[in-house]
Amino acid sequence: MEFEYLVKAESRRVSLEKKGEHWIFRAGDQTLEADVRIISGNAFSLIVGGTSHLVGIADHKDTIYVSLDGTTLTLKRPGAEEKRFEKGEEGSKEGITVVKAPMPGKVVKINVAENDAVRKNQTLAIVEAMKMENEIKSPMDGVIKKIHSSAGDLVDSEKSLIEIEPKT
Amino acid sequence: MFKKIVIANRGEIACRIIRACREMGIASVAVYSEADRAGLHVQMADEAVGIGPPPAVESYLHMDRIIEAVRETGAEAVHPGYGFLAENPEFARRLEKEKIVFIGPNSRALELVGDKVRARQTMEKAGIPIIPGMKRVADDFAEYAAEAKAIGYPVMIKASAGGGGKGMRIVCSEEDLRPALEAGRREAKSAFGDESVYLEKFIENPRHVEFQVLADNDGRIVHLFERECSIQRRHQKIIEETPSPALTPELRQRMGEAAKRVLEVSGYNNAGTVEFLLDREKRFFFLEVNARLQVEHPVTELTTGIDLVHRQIRIAAGEKLDLKQEELSQRGHAIECRIYAEDPANGFLPSAGKILFLQEPKGPGVRYDGGIFSGWDVPIYYDPILAKLIVWAETREAACRRMRSALDDTVILGIKTTIPFLKDIISHPRFREGATTTGFIKDHFGDWKEKEASGETEILSLASAAFFDSRKTSEAGVLSVRAKEQYSPWRMLGKWRIGEKSDLSGE
Repeated sequence: MEFEYLVKAESRRVSLEKKGEHWIFRAGDQTLEADVRIISGNAFSLIVGGTSHLVGIADHKDTIYVSLDGTTLTLKRPGAEEKRFEKGEEGSKEGITVVKAPMPGKVVKINVAENDAVRKNQTLAIVEAMKMENEIKSPMDGVIKKIHSSAGDLVDSEKSLIEIEPKT
Repeated sequence: MFKKIVIANRGEIACRIIRACREMGIASVAVYSEADRAGLHVQMADEAVGIGPPPAVESYLHMDRIIEAVRETGAEAVHPGYGFLAENPEFARRLEKEKIVFIGPNSRALELVGDKVRARQTMEKAGIPIIPGMKRVADDFAEYAAEAKAIGYPVMIKASAGGGGKGMRIVCSEEDLRPALEAGRREAKSAFGDESVYLEKFIENPRHVEFQVLADNDGRIVHLFERECSIQRRHQKIIEETPSPALTPELRQRMGEAAKRVLEVSGYNNAGTVEFLLDREKRFFFLEVNARLQVEHPVTELTTGIDLVHRQIRIAAGEKLDLKQEELSQRGHAIECRIYAEDPANGFLPSAGKILFLQEPKGPGVRYDGGIFSGWDVPIYYDPILAKLIVWAETREAACRRMRSALDDTVILGIKTTIPFLKDIISHPRFREGATTTGFIKDHFGDWKEKEASGETEILSLASAAFFDSRKTSEAGVLSVRAKEQYSPWRMLGKWRIGEKSDLSGE
């Protein structure tokens, strides 16, 4: 069986095959033979060439989180990337930049109005989450084309807040 | 002793207090907002009462609802934890009026030390050194601007009702003053329900050293030594330890006596913490009294052997303090790391969401105080603290190693946390030397990025993901993967099995 993952936007293919009591994994020119034991639905024990690794693993939608040897990696199933492009399309009209909420939270204040000229790093909005205010800054000099949120709105991460047309 | 206590808080601290209640044979009542119905503190408590919608002002800060919960359950006392109503004198006063015991200081002492400006005046009179700055809240912007000029930039904006870094801002020039004041006031309003702020001289790169103090209702006072809490981001502590690498026995004794004096002149009872800044010349300045149980109280517990929550409850119940200053001592070294739902590589942006997997650390000298579980959806409404990891060891160096190992054992998947950042701080040579100041993170970790995973870790992760997905596929018989498989060379392998479940070779 073969799977494909995106590791930091780079596509990696990995195949696995059972061989006796062990599993053989191949990714690119690397081959790994591992003795795998299932500890729980979210934990495996791997022994690779005598080295023991405890793996914690979980997924949400198309993101897989893997923790081993004190490091946590995030992998994406490629489906995720395609969907993101689709979602991004509606906002990324020609020449328009969409400023999105960086995390889920509550819009405290929108500091600009449509048709306002803004400077790079000017504060456009304030989003509060977990009692901390976070200023959303303009990524460029430009003009505010559209505002999608108002004070008091609860927003999700990646929700479009403001559209800016770059100054030409 | 009380028979039943309401814990007016949530998360890890509510769980910590519920445990103390259990140990003391006291029934515990959790209160919860709609966002916390499934919260760990609700799971652990003997009784649980819903107190309103998710925003804190409509639930955990809503005094009427909490008092109703006390009445409804027949509890005798309220433990406020930290944050929310913990240092709110009006709340303490209302409880006093209702003949409900507030497990914390009396309302007059709370009022005095909670008003940072009045506290500064009182301490100055008592001969305790204070940071130069305003001794009253200004009426308008012009007055702030004039005060800032008189103090000299950079100045620090502080919430008069403050604590915990909320509402604090450093201002380096007059043009930044207005927006910083606005933001500080909004944050103070949202955190404490009081928007007054004042200005102080900003002391560059000090150490933050605080003293834990216990006072009974008859004025017996002891201090339980210091905690150094210099490692901060956004003026909020993330690593604390005791003993402080900076104190000599002589300085420790002087500061400890000053801390006791602070509580004495405030007419204070129950547990409190006196915060000081220690400048480069090792001069100390009174900062404020934290009139509550501190987040970092466990490091004191591990080095002194005194259970602070038990002591708080016993003092509130009227017991006399049977501790003698000369009999108290510090043993070994303890460090605490705060695990927050924040992205340390991205300006510590909060990271709410679902915890998909949690592995708690264990081992000798390791204490884990948490408020989360696998499957818990971290709400956006409250402080982002998830858990605290505390270690004790014979020496500072051994404690650092133990902490590093315990952090490696702590796994939280699904949201960003401060864990990788904490590991790098604990491993940093300057931290190991004890060269800790409040500027430490800015100086050494300003543009921190998580270390790249090694090639070996990466391939092991890919292999693990593939194994994980192959099990999912075999369990669910997912068609999409099967379809993909038709183009895969591994289809040639013929029959193969995973576990004892389905067989995918039938196509």
